[in-house]
Amino acid sequence: MADLDHEELTPTPGARVGKFINRGDVRQTMLLGLLFTIVFVVLGRWVYPHWMPTVLTKQMQANEDIMIWFTVISAPIAGVVLAIAMQSFLHMHRGDTPPEEGIAIRTNTPVVIIWSAASVVFTIVAIVWGLVALNTDSIAAATDAPKSLIVDVTGSQWAWSFYYPAQNIHTHELNIPVNQPVTFNVISADVNHSFWPVQLGVKVDANRLVTTVVHADPSATGPIDVKCAELCGLYHAYMETSGAVQTPADFTNWVSSIQATGGVQQ
Amino acid sequence: MAHDTEFHVHHDSPEAVGRRERLGVRLLIVADGSFLFAMIFSWFYLRNLNVNQAWLPKGVHTFSTASGWVAAIGLIVAALAHRIGERNRAARNLTAIVVLVALLIGGYYQWHQMAHMPFIAHDDAGRPFYNGAYASNWVLVAGANMFHYLIGSFVALGLLLRARRVKIDPTLEEWRQRTAGSWFTWIAISGILCAIATSFQ
Amino acid sequence: MTTLSHAPTGARPVPNPQKSLITKLNMGTGMVLGIIFCWGTYYAMKAGRDMTDTHNVNKVLLMSMFAWSVGFLIGIGALIGPFRWLIGKDLTDEEQLYLAGDGQGIKRYFKYCTDHKVVGIQYLVGVMALLGVGGTMAMMIRTNLATPGSHFVTPNVYNSLVGLHGITMIIALIIVATGPFGNYIMPIMIGAADMAFPRLNALSWWVLFTAIPVLCSAWFLGGIPTGWTAYAPLSDQAGPGMNAFLATIIIFAVSTAVAGMNVTTTVIAMRAKGMKWNRVPIFVIGATISVALAIPAFPTFMVAMIQTAMDRTIATGFFDANVGGSGWLYANLFWIMGHPEVYVILIPGVAALMEIAPVFVRKPLFSYNAAIAGFAGIAGLSILVWAHHMYMSGWMPSLNGPFMITTEFISIPTGLLFLVLIGTLWRGKPWMKLPMLSVYAFIWDFLIGGITGIYLSDVPADNYLHGSMYVTAHFHYTLMGAALTGAIGGLAYWFPKMTGRMLNERGGYVAFWFIQIGFNVLFLGMFIAGAEGQPRRVADYAHLFAHANLISTIGAYSVGIGMLTLLWAIVHSWRSGKIAPMNPWGAKTLEWTVPYPVPLVNFETPPIVTSDPYGYGRSAK
Repeated sequence: MADLDHEELTPTPGARVGKFINRGDVRQTMLLGLLFTIVFVVLGRWVYPHWMPTVLTKQMQANEDIMIWFTVISAPIAGVVLAIAMQSFLHMHRGDTPPEEGIAIRTNTPVVIIWSAASVVFTIVAIVWGLVALNTDSIAAATDAPKSLIVDVTGSQWAWSFYYPAQNIHTHELNIPVNQPVTFNVISADVNHSFWPVQLGVKVDANRLVTTVVHADPSATGPIDVKCAELCGLYHAYMETSGAVQTPADFTNWVSSIQATGGVQQ
Repeated sequence: MAHDTEFHVHHDSPEAVGRRERLGVRLLIVADGSFLFAMIFSWFYLRNLNVNQAWLPKGVHTFSTASGWVAAIGLIVAALAHRIGERNRAARNLTAIVVLVALLIGGYYQWHQMAHMPFIAHDDAGRPFYNGAYASNWVLVAGANMFHYLIGSFVALGLLLRARRVKIDPTLEEWRQRTAGSWFTWIAISGILCAIATSFQ
Repeated sequence: MTTLSHAPTGARPVPNPQKSLITKLNMGTGMVLGIIFCWGTYYAMKAGRDMTDTHNVNKVLLMSMFAWSVGFLIGIGALIGPFRWLIGKDLTDEEQLYLAGDGQGIKRYFKYCTDHKVVGIQYLVGVMALLGVGGTMAMMIRTNLATPGSHFVTPNVYNSLVGLHGITMIIALIIVATGPFGNYIMPIMIGAADMAFPRLNALSWWVLFTAIPVLCSAWFLGGIPTGWTAYAPLSDQAGPGMNAFLATIIIFAVSTAVAGMNVTTTVIAMRAKGMKWNRVPIFVIGATISVALAIPAFPTFMVAMIQTAMDRTIATGFFDANVGGSGWLYANLFWIMGHPEVYVILIPGVAALMEIAPVFVRKPLFSYNAAIAGFAGIAGLSILVWAHHMYMSGWMPSLNGPFMITTEFISIPTGLLFLVLIGTLWRGKPWMKLPMLSVYAFIWDFLIGGITGIYLSDVPADNYLHGSMYVTAHFHYTLMGAALTGAIGGLAYWFPKMTGRMLNERGGYVAFWFIQIGFNVLFLGMFIAGAEGQPRRVADYAHLFAHANLISTIGAYSVGIGMLTLLWAIVHSWRSGKIAPMNPWGAKTLEWTVPYPVPLVNFETPPIVTSDPYGYGRSAK
C-alpha cells in the first residue's frame, strides 16, 4: 500500500510518458500530426517536380532537391504545430460566455528545451545542406573554368544580347551545348537587370559597368527561356528571349550558320 | 497623484519629466546615429568600389582634408562650452552665448563651404553636376552637418532666451540643460566622425 | 516612478486658452496653409528655371511637396509648442488641456490633438484608408493578370500599380498595429495617463497624414516605374512621379522616428507602479521591440532616399556608375532597413495574437520568457541578414554563405513564437470568437510563410526562386497572412474598448472566411506560378502560367469581398453596434478596467500592478 502511494506521487519517467501517451487528447494530436506530416511529405515529393520546369543543369537539380527535401524535413514540425492547433480547434467552445478555466500551465521547461533543440538541429541541417550545395557549385565553377564555354551577356532596356568570344558571334538567342560547362559574364547597358535562364536554375544581376559572373553545368538537352528577374522599367515583362541546350553537333551547326552570315544572328 | 492628474499628465514630477525627455532625445540620437552610419558607409563603400575609376576622376578639384575638421569646430566648441556651463552655473550666462555664437558662426562657415565647393563640373549643355562619388558624398556629409548646426542653434537660442524667464521650473530646466548637453555632445561627435571620413580622399 | 509634486501654482497668471491661437487652428487651416506653401513654392521656384531640364523639374516638385508638409504642420499648429518653448513661454495648463481635446467632441479628431486615444483613432482610420487604396490597387493588378495579354492596363500603369500598391501596403502595415493599438490601448495597458510626449504623438500622426496626399500625387505625375524597392539606377532615370515616392518616404521616416521614440520612452518610463518588466503584457513588449527596431532601421532608408533625390535634383552620382556610383550601395542601404522593417511589421501582429490567445483559451500565456526571447532574437538577428535579398546581385558572392547562416538562424526564435502559441492552445477549449479565429489563421499562414522562407534563405534554391512570383507569395504569407491577420484579430479584440461597441459577429465571420480562404487560394496559386518560373512584377506572362494566375485572381476577388464585408461590419458596428460591456472578454489586462468613453487621464486613481495579466486557469491536478 505504501509502495503504491509512493509510486503515485513520484512515478518513474517511463510511467509518466506511458500515461501521457495513453491520454485521449494526446493520441488525437499524434494521429493528426502523423496525418499532416504524411500530407506534406507527399505534396513535397509530388508538387515541386511537377511544377518546376525540366531539369537541364546540375544547378537546377540541386535546387529542386532542396525544395523537395526541405519540405520533407519540415513536414514533421509543421505536423506538430498544425496537429496541436487542430486538436484544440476541434474542442472549441461556442456561445456568449467565456469557457471554463483551462489548466494553468505557465511553462514547461523540458518542452521549451526540446523544442529549441529540435529547431536548432533543423536549422543546422538546412545550413549545412545549403553550404555543401554552395561549395560544390563554387568548386565546380573553379575546376570547370578552363573548359567552359564563355558567353558575354548584355542586358539593356528591354532585350538580352549574347556574344560568344571564342566563336566570335553576336546573337539574341541563347544556345549552349550539353555536357560542357558554361560561364556567363553579365553586364548591363543601363539600369539593373537580372539574367535568368529559367531551366538552367541560375541567376545573376546585370549591373552597369560592373561584370558579374555565373556558371552552369548543362546535363540534358531542351529549350531555355531567358527572362529578366529585376524590374527594369516599362517593358520589363517583355524582356525575354529563348534558346536551348543542344547536342554538340547541333550547337556547332548553329554557330557555323551564324558565322556564315557575318557573325551576327539575323 | 490623483489630484494632479485631474489636470493632465504633465504634472508628473520635474525629475520624471526630465528623465523622460532625456531618454527621448537619446533615442532620437540613436536614429541620427543610424543616419550617420549610412552616410559613412556610403563614403567608404563607394571609395573602395571605385566604380569606373570615378571615385575621384582625374582633374577634379578636391577639398583639403582640413575642410571637414574646420566645419566641425563650431560643433566642438559649442559642446565644450555647454559642458562647462552645465558644471558651473555661474558661468552659464556666458557659456550659453558662446554655444549659440559658435553654432551660428560654424553654421555660416558650413553654408559658405557648401556654396563654394570646388568639384562642381559642367556637362556639354553647361549644366552643373558633381563629378565623382567623392564629390557626391561630400555634399551629403556637409548637408548633415548643416542640419546639425540648424537644430543646434535652435536649441541654443531657446536655452539662452529661457534663462531670462523667471516662470520656468528650475529643476526641470536643469534637466533640460543636461538633455541639451546630450544633443550638443552628439552633434560634435557626429561632426568629428564626418571629418574623419572626409579625411580619406 | 515618483509621484506627486509640482502642483500647478494658483498664482500663476494663465491666459484664457479661448483667446489663444491654438483654438483657431485645425485640419482646415492646415490644408489651406499647406496648399498655399505648396503652390507658392512651386511658382516661386519655377520662375526663371529651365523646366525642360529634368533636374529642375525634380527640384521644384520635391520642394513643393516638402513645402506642403511644412505648411500643413504650421497651419495645424504643430510648431506652436516648439516656438513657445523657444521664447520661454511654455504652454499653460489650460492650453495643454485644450490641446488634449477635453470636451471638444468630434472636432478634436480634426485638430492637433494630444490625447493618445484620439491619435489612436486617427491612426485606425488612416490605416483603413491606406489599406483600402492599396487593396484597390491589388485588385487592379490581379484583374490585369487574370489572363495573359495584359488587357486591362498599360505596362506603365501596371508598373505604377505594383510599386504604389507595395509602398502603400508597407506603410499601412508598419502602422497597422502600433498605430491604432499602440496609441490607443498600449498606454492604458501599462497604466499610464498618456504617452510620454503627447505633442510628439500628435506630430507623428499629422506628419504621416501629410505624406498621404504626396504619395497619391505620384499618380498625377506619371506614376513610378520602380516597384516599392525603388532600386537605383532605375529610380535615377524615372519620371517626375518618383519625386512623390521619395518625399513620402522621407516624411514617413520622420514620423516613424518620432513615434518610435515616443512609444519606447512611454513603455520604459511610464509604466504603472508595480509593473515590473516581467509583468508587462506581451503586446506591449512586442510593440516596443518593433518600434525600437524601427528607430535605427529607417534612417538608412531615408539616407538612400535623400541620395536618390540628390542624384535627381543636383546631379550627384551616388548610383550613377559613370561617375563612380553603384546600385549596390542603394541595395545595401535599402535592405539594411528593409529586413528589420519586415519584422517591425510582423512582431506587433504576433504580439497582439499572443495577448488574445490566453484570454480566449482561459490559460496563461505559455512561456512568457520564450515569447520575449523569440521577439528579441528576431529583432537582434534581423539587422544581420539584409544581404539575403542580394544573393543574386553579384554584390559579394563570398558573403552569401555567412548571410545564409544568419538568415536561417532566424527560424529558431521564430519557432519559439509558434511554441508560445501552440503551448497556450494545448489542452485548451478555446472560445471561438473572431479574435481567436485570427490566432488559428495566423498559425496556418505563418507556417507556410515561414517554411517557404527557409527555401528562399538557401542560396542554391534562391538561384531559381529569387525575383520570381514565389517570393511575392512568400512575403504576402508573412506580411498579410501573419501581420495583417494579427492586426485584424487585434481590431476585433479591442474594438469594444476603442468604440464602445461590439464588432458585428456575423459580418466578422463572413469577412474572416472570405479573406482567409481567398488569401490562401490567391497565394497558393502564386506559389505555383513562381515554381513554374514566372518572374514577379510582370504585366504580362506566357500561357504556361495562365492557370496559376487565374486561380490567384479568383482568390484575390474573394479577399476583396471579404475586406468590403469587414469594412461594412466595422462601419455598421461603430455607428449602431451592440453596446459593449466594460470587459466583454473577461480579460485581465488594465485596459479592460476602464470604462468607455475612457477618461482623459485614463485612470481615476493610478493603478498598482501586483501580478502579470495571465493569471488564468485552475492548477493542474
